[in-house]
Amino acid sequence: MIRDITLGQYYPAKSVLHELDPRVKLAATLIFVVSLFVAKGPVGYALATVFLGIVIRLSKVPFRFMTKGLKSIVMLLMITVVFNLFLLDGDVVFWHFGFLRITDRGIRTAVMVGIRLIYLILGSSVMTLTTTPNDLTDGLEKLLSPLKKIHVPVHDMSMMMSIALRFIPILLEETDKIMKAQIARGADFESGNLIQKAKAMIPLLVPLFFSALRRAMDLALAMEARCYHGGEGRTKMKPLKYESKDRTAYAVIWIYLAAMIVIGYGRQIYGWIPFI
Amino acid sequence: MSIKVKNVSYTYSEGMAYEVHALKDVNLEIPDGQFVGLIGHTGSGKSTLIQHLNGLLRATEGKIYFNGKDIYGDKYPMRELRSKVGLVFQYPEYQLFETDVLKDVCFGPRNLGYSQKEAEEKAKRALRMVGMGEEYDSSSPFELSGGQKRRVAIAGVLAMDPEVLILDEPTAGLDPRGRDEILDQISYLKRERGITVILVSHSMEDVARYVDRLIVMNQGQVRFDGTPKEVFRHYRELEEIGLAAPQVTYLMQELKEKGARVDTDATTVEEAADAIAAWLGGQEQL
Repeated sequence: MIRDITLGQYYPAKSVLHELDPRVKLAATLIFVVSLFVAKGPVGYALATVFLGIVIRLSKVPFRFMTKGLKSIVMLLMITVVFNLFLLDGDVVFWHFGFLRITDRGIRTAVMVGIRLIYLILGSSVMTLTTTPNDLTDGLEKLLSPLKKIHVPVHDMSMMMSIALRFIPILLEETDKIMKAQIARGADFESGNLIQKAKAMIPLLVPLFFSALRRAMDLALAMEARCYHGGEGRTKMKPLKYESKDRTAYAVIWIYLAAMIVIGYGRQIYGWIPFI
Repeated sequence: MSIKVKNVSYTYSEGMAYEVHALKDVNLEIPDGQFVGLIGHTGSGKSTLIQHLNGLLRATEGKIYFNGKDIYGDKYPMRELRSKVGLVFQYPEYQLFETDVLKDVCFGPRNLGYSQKEAEEKAKRALRMVGMGEEYDSSSPFELSGGQKRRVAIAGVLAMDPEVLILDEPTAGLDPRGRDEILDQISYLKRERGITVILVSHSMEDVARYVDRLIVMNQGQVRFDGTPKEVFRHYRELEEIGLAAPQVTYLMQELKEKGARVDTDATTVEEAADAIAAWLGGQEQL
C-alpha cells in the first residue's frame, strides 16, 4: 500500500536520538555516508554494521519500519549489484559467457556496493524517522546559514523544504483516498499494459494535482495573512542550542569516522592497520 | 438480497506501533430497501466499516456476504460488487477529473463496460436525478459550486445503477440549505428507485428525519442498533460516547421530568410539536 513509504516520515518515540539536536543528526548522517565510502575491507564494514546496529537500537524505532524504506530502492539495488557482478574485470575469473563474467573483484565490488546502498538508506532513514520535519529544516537552515553571506536564500530554501516534507504524508493520504474513490467507481489501476496503466492514472493524477494546487494556494494565503515575509529579521521561538549530549554525540561520530579512516587507509598511511 | 457482516474485525497497520483496531467483531444484517443511518464519533470505525461493504478493505477477520455470497470467496467478481454497492466518499467532489460533467459521470458506467451511448444515457439520468440540469452537462466540473460538485460526484456513483448506495458524510462542509437539499434528494432517490441507502453521519439531527434504522458505532463496535426512537431512548449513553440525541429528545425528556405527560419518543421537531399539542389539548379537556 502507498502508506508504507517511510522516507521523510517521523516515528514518534522517546529515545536519545529523538532528543538530539537536529544539526548533530544531520552532520552525523553526512559523516556516516562519508564513512561508508572510506570503508575498506571486512573490518571497516563490520565496524559500520556495529555502529549502525547500535544507532538503530538506540532510536527505538522498530527495525521493520526502516527496511520499508529499502523497498523503494530494490530495483536500483538489483541493477547496480548485477552490473558490478557481471561486468567487472578481475584477477580470478570464475565464470564467463561472452562479455559477461564473474570475477573475484566483481563479487567483492557487488557486495560492497550493495551494502553501501543499503546502509546509506538505513542511515538516512534513522535520521528522518527520529527527527520531525520541522527540526530537520531548522537544523539545515542553521547549518547552511553561513551561505547567506554569498546571497544564497537559505531561509527560503529551508522553508520550501519543510513545506514539501510536511505535505508528503498529506498527499499520500489524499492519493490513497482518491484511489479508493476511483476504484469504487470501477477504475482499475492494476491490469493492462503500460499505456493502459498510464492512462488509468489520469483519474488519480488530475484530482491530486488539483488538490495540491488548492492546498498550496490556501497555504500561501494563510502565510500572507500572518504577515510572513521571508527570513529577514525573523527570530525563532525555540532557537537551537547544543547540550552536553549533543557534544557527546559529535565526539562519538568523529571518533567513529577516524576509526573508519584508520581501518580503510591505515595501510597506505602508516603501513599497518591497528588491531589486526 | 442483503448485506451480512459476520464477526468482522479490522486492524490498521497490523503489528506496527501505530496499530489501530478499527473494527472489533462487528455483526450486522442490512436487508434490501432499508434506509440505514450509521452514526458514530470521529474514529469510531464507521468509515472503515463501509469500505468493507464494497470490498475496498479486506477484513482482518470475519466474513461479509452480499446477496448470500461470500465476497472473500474465490473468483468473487469484485468489480461487480463495486458496481452494486455504490460508495460515495467524504468530500466526493475531490474525485472529479474529467473535462466536462457528463464525461465525468460516464467514468463509472464506462468502467463497467457499457458503450459510450449507454453510459451517456445512464449519466444523464443520474445527473437529472440529483437535480443537475442539462445546461451543466458540458461545463467543467471545476467551475461548479461546492454543492453542485458534490451532486455531480454522487451522480457519478448513481450512474452505475447500484443496488446499495452508501454515502459517507454527504453533507460535510455544506451550508444548512445545501445540506437539506442533498438529504432530501437522497431520500427522494431512495423512494424512487427502492434501493438500500446507508447514510454515514455524526449528526443525529441530520439522519433522524430520514432513516428507518440507526446503527451507532463506538470504538469499532456496534453500540446500538434499532429504530431512531429506540436508539434515542438511550440518550444518556449516547452522550457518554460523545454523541447527542436530537435537541427535541432533550426537550421532551425535560418536559416529562417537569411533570408533562408527553410522548418522549418524538425525534423530529414536527413530531415533538404534535406530541406537545396532544398533551396541551388533553389538558384542556380535563
